[in-house]
Amino acid sequence: MVRNIVVLGGNSHPQLVDTISNILGVPPCNRILSKFSVGESRLEIKDSVRGKDVYIIQSGGGKVNDNFVDLCIMISACKTGSAKRVTAVLPLFPYSRQPDLPYNKVGAPLSKAPTDVNRGDFTFESRPPTPGPGQPQSQSLTNGNGNGMEGLQKKLGKASLEQQNGTTYTNGITPPRRSDTLDSSSSVTGRGRGSSSSSASAPPFTTHDYENPTMLKEAGKIFQAKPGYKQWVAQAGTLVADLLTCAGADHIITMDLHDPQYQGFFDIPVDNLYGKALLKRYIQTKIPDFKDAVIVSPDAGGAKRATAIADDLNVDFALIHKERRPTRITDRQNATMMLVGEVAGKVTILVDDLADTSNTITRAAKLLKKEGATKVYALLTHGVFSGDAIARINASALDKVVVTNSVPQDEHKRLCPKLEVLEVGTVFAEAIRRVHHGESISALFWE
Amino acid sequence: MATNSIKLLTGNSHPQLAKLVADRLGIELAKTMSLNYSNQETSVTIGESVRDEDVFILQSTAPGDINDGLMELLIMINACKTASARRITAVIPNFPYARQDKKDKSRAPISAKLIANMLQTAGCNHVITMDLHASQIQGFFNVPVDNLYAEPSTLRWIRENLEVKDCVVVSPDAGGAKRATSIADRLDLGFALIHKERARPNEVSRMVLVGDVENKIAILVDDMADTCGTLVKAAETVMAHKAREVVAIVTHGILSGNAIETLNKSKLSRVVVTNTVPLLDKQERCEVLKVMDISPTLAEAIRRTHNGESVSFLFTHAPTD
Repeated sequence: MVRNIVVLGGNSHPQLVDTISNILGVPPCNRILSKFSVGESRLEIKDSVRGKDVYIIQSGGGKVNDNFVDLCIMISACKTGSAKRVTAVLPLFPYSRQPDLPYNKVGAPLSKAPTDVNRGDFTFESRPPTPGPGQPQSQSLTNGNGNGMEGLQKKLGKASLEQQNGTTYTNGITPPRRSDTLDSSSSVTGRGRGSSSSSASAPPFTTHDYENPTMLKEAGKIFQAKPGYKQWVAQAGTLVADLLTCAGADHIITMDLHDPQYQGFFDIPVDNLYGKALLKRYIQTKIPDFKDAVIVSPDAGGAKRATAIADDLNVDFALIHKERRPTRITDRQNATMMLVGEVAGKVTILVDDLADTSNTITRAAKLLKKEGATKVYALLTHGVFSGDAIARINASALDKVVVTNSVPQDEHKRLCPKLEVLEVGTVFAEAIRRVHHGESISALFWE
Repeated sequence: MATNSIKLLTGNSHPQLAKLVADRLGIELAKTMSLNYSNQETSVTIGESVRDEDVFILQSTAPGDINDGLMELLIMINACKTASARRITAVIPNFPYARQDKKDKSRAPISAKLIANMLQTAGCNHVITMDLHASQIQGFFNVPVDNLYAEPSTLRWIRENLEVKDCVVVSPDAGGAKRATSIADRLDLGFALIHKERARPNEVSRMVLVGDVENKIAILVDDMADTCGTLVKAAETVMAHKAREVVAIVTHGILSGNAIETLNKSKLSRVVVTNTVPLLDKQERCEVLKVMDISPTLAEAIRRTHNGESVSFLFTHAPTD
């Protein structure tokens, strides 16, 4: 029994709340957390929190935005209810994966203007145009001493030339300036890949694990960056950190942040717990002959995490390099994955922090089996499994998928016989106890 | 030297209103895309430069997805902030969580204050909103808040559609008395008030009418109609006191839950709402529902804010179409 502590659970993971409050020996705080018919969250905290050390447990799965706003409201309510300290416990941190910079189809992020020019982009504006892809580079800007009028004439001359070229290439049919479909973009390939046509067919964004082609195609239809502008993808990381602080959180406890740098977004203490110990124990106890197994990181970003486990267990390590740039040959997706290391005839253990659509791990498993691995395990801290992830895992070459219950796994487990769930509540309960008593957290991770 | 122009962005909550405002301003909506990843996190992509621009982000509240809309707005504001916008103005016609504005019970959250803090944390420099449930919410902000009124549009609607001299303005609850008296004064009309005893939120119990409505057209005036329980009960009360007809004029037609069914069965001859909240197919499903377009007011407020002109003119005048 821990005194002066309040465990307040959100709606995202009631089972974990029960586990933690059982271990700590305190009943979960009595509260009403529902929604008004408009969709606004409604919260009533029934038990007093005055002068208490409050731990609010809310994971980042399910309806992320609802859960996050609920969490902020709970924090704020405890704060205004005179709680001594409010700690947000987020087993899975929402918005922890920052989207990567979008790649242009032509190559890595555009740094210089493509040679072709979009006709009709010229305006007689008094200000000099911004040089950029899809816009002709201003002569006066490149030379520094160029005459504006001369530059304009050159531009116009070049434009009319381009116009002629354009018409001859497409046999009198003027290519549409903004082509939304793949067909029309292939019809203009003759005049080179224009920035507008390629940005229509190139994915507007890529994120780790996020490669659902149908969704990208849908998005590409409705969205297109302005010619000459590389779209700006919002990075919600700092925002989420700031919002939690602004709601009044004094302390954050989370597990296996996707980017360790995320801790730096906060001005308040963040305890990043490691799922490593749980995964390691699983390997040691449940995988026979783990000494001969190979730990595999499914992408370069997770290499550090995987090597840490491999070093601790003193086993071999391999890495899969994922080529993220979209290739022209779309049906041979696996051609873009490269294995570095030897796995033939061995048991392989994929280690990653998070599986969302499970695209990465299922593709990695396929590759490993092709390279001669006898068995493929996947050990993940967070199993979000959104979309058709479960179906994909069921159909994949993976032999076993092990996740912690940082997000509710009951439903997933029912649908996926390959899934095994590790209890994470004990780790969080112990961390909460230590934070409450002011004991060291790092001692939790010593062997 | 870059020009500093209006960039109007919008989230997914109310694209129609954004289109109307953009048309009125004679500009194009900025290219943005916001969608949910399969794990339901919101992703916002901005497709054109906002560097050193005057950014206005219009986001209303679509019933049911309040929190999604809120996060989308916050992420969008933050994206513009990190993309070096000169000024970011959140245009929130219907302020979310406006009703949770006080600690009416122990440990009740003051969510409106939280939303205000969140908006400022995200990087919002200015807020334009309309008919706040409590105008004190303006005090939750440390940035300027322009609280516009639908009242001028309401007055015009009454003058154009009703026999003004036969009307009486009725406030369905004590909280809205000020709003109703203001309209009554402007039209030089009588005023009545309904006192209600509220048992639980979204539910209404007993009602008492103070004032005379006999043989008059009763105009119920309120800032929002959610489940419409209050309005319908008020209409019954007014009709029971021998009013000739009862019309409701409400700024925010949230109309959640069974509101449409409730309205269809009610004694209200007309329910007039503005388009601050997306109505979707509700107008087809409800014959008595009429819509006033307030996009001219919003557009004018945006234009005036951008040009540094006074907005207070709009508190008493509705721009003509």
